[in-house]
Amino acid sequence: MSQQGILPRGFVKRVKKIVGDEHFSQQEADLISYSLDYWLYGVFLSQKGDLPALPSAVVSPASNAQIQKIVRCASQYKVPITPFGGGSGVLGGAIPLDGSIVLNLQRMSRFLNLDELSLVAEFEAGIIGANLELELNNRGYSAGNIPQSLFCSTLGGWISTRAAGQFSTKYGKIEDMVLGMEVVLPDGKLLDIRSVPRRSVGPSLKDLFLGGEGTLGIVTRATISIHPLPRLTIKQSFVFPSIEVAVDVVRQILRAEARPAVVRIFDEAESERYFPEIGRKVTTIFISEGETEYTDLDGKVIRRIARENGGKSHGEEPVNIWLQKRFDIGLGPVLMQYGGIVDTIEVSALFKDAAKLYKDMVTSMKAVEGVLEVSGHYSHFYREGACLYVTFAGIPKEPLRYYQDTWDAAMEATLKNNGSISHHHGVGFWRMQYMKQELGDSGVGLLKSIKSALDPGGILNRGKLIDGGRQERD
Amino acid sequence: MAEDKKETEKLARCAMCADMCKYNCPTYLAMGRETLSPQKIARLIVYNEKGLLEDEDGFLDLMFQSAMCGACSRHCIYGDYDLRKFIHKARVKAFSNGVIPEDVRKRVETFKKFGNPNGERGVIDKGSGDYGYFISCSSYKDEDLLKAMDTVLSKSRRRIRQFGGGDICCGAPLYYAGDMDGFRQASLRMKAEIETKQVRRIVVDCPTCLKMMTEIYQQIGVELDVEFIHTTQFIEALLKQGRLGFKKENRAVALHDPCILSYDLTIAGVPREIITALGFNLKEPAYSGEHTHCCGAAYGAKIGNHRLKDAVTSMRVNELRNTAADIYVTTCPTCKSVLSEINMKYITELIAERIIAEQ
Repeated sequence: MSQQGILPRGFVKRVKKIVGDEHFSQQEADLISYSLDYWLYGVFLSQKGDLPALPSAVVSPASNAQIQKIVRCASQYKVPITPFGGGSGVLGGAIPLDGSIVLNLQRMSRFLNLDELSLVAEFEAGIIGANLELELNNRGYSAGNIPQSLFCSTLGGWISTRAAGQFSTKYGKIEDMVLGMEVVLPDGKLLDIRSVPRRSVGPSLKDLFLGGEGTLGIVTRATISIHPLPRLTIKQSFVFPSIEVAVDVVRQILRAEARPAVVRIFDEAESERYFPEIGRKVTTIFISEGETEYTDLDGKVIRRIARENGGKSHGEEPVNIWLQKRFDIGLGPVLMQYGGIVDTIEVSALFKDAAKLYKDMVTSMKAVEGVLEVSGHYSHFYREGACLYVTFAGIPKEPLRYYQDTWDAAMEATLKNNGSISHHHGVGFWRMQYMKQELGDSGVGLLKSIKSALDPGGILNRGKLIDGGRQERD
Repeated sequence: MAEDKKETEKLARCAMCADMCKYNCPTYLAMGRETLSPQKIARLIVYNEKGLLEDEDGFLDLMFQSAMCGACSRHCIYGDYDLRKFIHKARVKAFSNGVIPEDVRKRVETFKKFGNPNGERGVIDKGSGDYGYFISCSSYKDEDLLKAMDTVLSKSRRRIRQFGGGDICCGAPLYYAGDMDGFRQASLRMKAEIETKQVRRIVVDCPTCLKMMTEIYQQIGVELDVEFIHTTQFIEALLKQGRLGFKKENRAVALHDPCILSYDLTIAGVPREIITALGFNLKEPAYSGEHTHCCGAAYGAKIGNHRLKDAVTSMRVNELRNTAADIYVTTCPTCKSVLSEINMKYITELIAERIIAEQ
């Protein structure tokens, strides 16, 4: 498993000079370790040593200046670059396709600055979410972005995939949190988007990189908003007669201006898995937190509306159980050992379509040969709609066919119900095949034009988001 | 056999996990290298066992770049698994193949020559009684620590036999080097030494010695008929019995939790109780208690790569400095020595100073 010798000698020599010999590696162990992110089909294949792509080298810079030089050098020698943060992406966005070198951002993980007056903090992009949160918590703050991947994803990864955390209904998604960033562009220039609360100077440049998946630039540092740790936390749970009722209750709660940090509606299957004592019922949990007076009011509004709509209270316990289990993704690897494949698909829709989307998605996915279980929950709520997060598992005879067909079924149901094919995992390599259906010819064309203008040589993260990947579908 | 299969299944599961423990892995964080993260180490071990790797020497070298601190097992989502067993197995293979890193080889040679990793020749053996105080190799060369312990022991109103130094060593450097024959010999020597002392309970100041003499000796079938406690537990008991009178002080103290004490011995709460009982204002680094980071452990021979050890130490020093504390304290003599840059004290010194102040 080695790729030595496929890079131009001049390139290797120059890059080694830029980062130092010890930070340029073609060691087999490094090539394997940076060959794959957490795209679950790839992980399934990796059990037998079948890796989707090996990088031609792993380069680990420690500064913007080094990255700028590497990018210029790669551009000159036409060597593609795949940026690599935490490697937690689930769509193959960090797989080094096409002989790419991996640009490892894990050495750039410093906590740079805390501005308590403005409530902002600056970090290098390679910092892992849990480390960012530990640093802030130690000083009395939180970023409020707590994705399930908190312990293995990076700030740069959050920005590049437009990520969202479990507490997003109150604190917003990553695009609501980022005030400024530094980005190395494909021509090697540094773009410094200074931190301000808002600006009106043409289209927002930072939005090119919030979801850019490393194809338009390499995010190297960012300033994000932070929040004082909550003074009061209220946990509540209710069982509703159906998914439709639960979704409508949350709609009413948000319409009434309540802003719980966490809202999750579990379908019968997930409820039974999380809360065996409740069983196969539709369970909804809420966490309100913040200043005492507002939080108290938030809790009261939720309680009133839930009760008015027939919600049966189950107290704090289900919330505590969820808090304990929320990062546990241990089932996937266990099932894979027995030939199974588990994956998750997150989509979004307006309230008018949200309940039907769930029914259609689950029904069509369950009909795929090899699928054993499909379950779902709503999370990440807005006044206008929500994210629907579906998990499927099966032990297929033909793994790729099962995987493709299940994804097709999910995406078709989403588009039929006017939803978006991704809420917060991004596109990466795997979801590209549905981009035309999501954005239309004009949308895809526009993205391609932007890519061509910024990166005419196609150096950055080749085969992801815009060009290449699995064949696009009409 | 069935047990082996079960363990291998756990390793394969780890190799496919999302690497959720890496956020607390000191070597991954200090080096910024995915390859050193626990899940990637597991994947490489699986691949090596399947014969998929071309560069086995490179792989074996990598196995010495783990701090073996246990942060990954502490934060494992499965909770019934310790990657260190497999890393250690690979080290044993590396030792047997003669491909251990140079730093490790030198330490093993020193050990073979002197019976300890520091090349000490002198032996301490003083006092008598059924209570013992085992002086680890790191404590042996630390006069301040020994003096402080003398003060505390004198307040205990117990007859205590102190012993250590020379070739009276738990053998941890050999264990971490993968030299299991050497380690077994060291453990048997230690067993014989303890038996001649005729003590029923031994106070140990080094968490690694404690781990070796309890958990690891048992794994290789060496049973010691004696009770071990860590110094902090001994001090805590003295405080509760009211045997230590001291003058309180309210300066800020930052505690460095030794990894073995927090992750393996799980007694991180005890030093906190002692520090606050002394009146100090305890300041926690961002990484403390169940999130503590290894110091680098140069003398414990846990990390075979000197550059890596320096990076881990530097990271830990910065984390501790960020507390802006007046005093830095730890509960492991090796950590004290490795973190000397910030004038680290062993917890006994903190107490002895207060006792003296009262007098």
